[in-house]
Amino acid sequence: MRYMLLLIGDEDQWENLSEEQVGEVLQAYEGYSRQLTEAGAFVSGEGLQPSSTSTQLRLVDGERVLTDGPFAETKEQLGGFYVLDCKDLDEALDWAEKCPAAAAGGTIEVRPVMDYEEAGYEDPRDSAEASR
Amino acid sequence: MRFLLAVYDDERRWASVGEEEAKAEVGAYFALDDEARERGAFVESGGLHPTDSAKTVRVRDGEQSVTDGPFAETKEQLGGFYLLDCDSLDEALEWAAKIPAVRTGSVEVRQLMDYEAAGVSNTAAEEARSA
Repeated sequence: MRYMLLLIGDEDQWENLSEEQVGEVLQAYEGYSRQLTEAGAFVSGEGLQPSSTSTQLRLVDGERVLTDGPFAETKEQLGGFYVLDCKDLDEALDWAEKCPAAAAGGTIEVRPVMDYEEAGYEDPRDSAEASR
Repeated sequence: MRFLLAVYDDERRWASVGEEEAKAEVGAYFALDDEARERGAFVESGGLHPTDSAKTVRVRDGEQSVTDGPFAETKEQLGGFYLLDCDSLDEALEWAAKIPAVRTGSVEVRQLMDYEAAGVSNTAAEEARSA
């Protein structure tokens, strides 16, 4: 059986951490990913960029309506997800528009996935995979 | 660049949808998966079981708590996810309790839909494409 584990926390807390502390947290994730890989339970895992980078897409009368920021309406629920590799946000939004849930009146939240190497950290998954 | 597309919809809608209609919609998802695969954009996707089967895990001062239902507090944000293959919900909850973020935030655990087990095959994608 596959399970999705959604990591939810106060993203503002990262601002109060020193670079060294951030490194320690990422190391803890690296160790966690290694345990998962060794146990054969790991399928995928990603960190997300802050919620301020989110864009929501909704179709109203077939027209695309975009809103900045994360999804907040409580009468709808998270029902599924996609991880896509796109050249830019526009391409990701084009895919979001094609999602059947958009035509059914739902909302697609589009968030860039963290690139830890670009941010100057070792990608926790790379070292977990290398240690396999 | 990689993007997460989080799909939000009113899950109660499915209760009023007929079997044929549900199969057609799932087929539309399979067709979208195939299109994204052909264009090289596809990394991963999944549908989730309804939120009444969700569990939310927290650890405070070393004590683990598991509550029924999805995460609802609005002052916290989704910061990442893991997709795991486990023997049971208990195993998934054990892994959830080991995530560093569980000590300050919450981890919501949701089972993924198994569409084949639910009787929907990939031929639904063919039907959606030819429709």
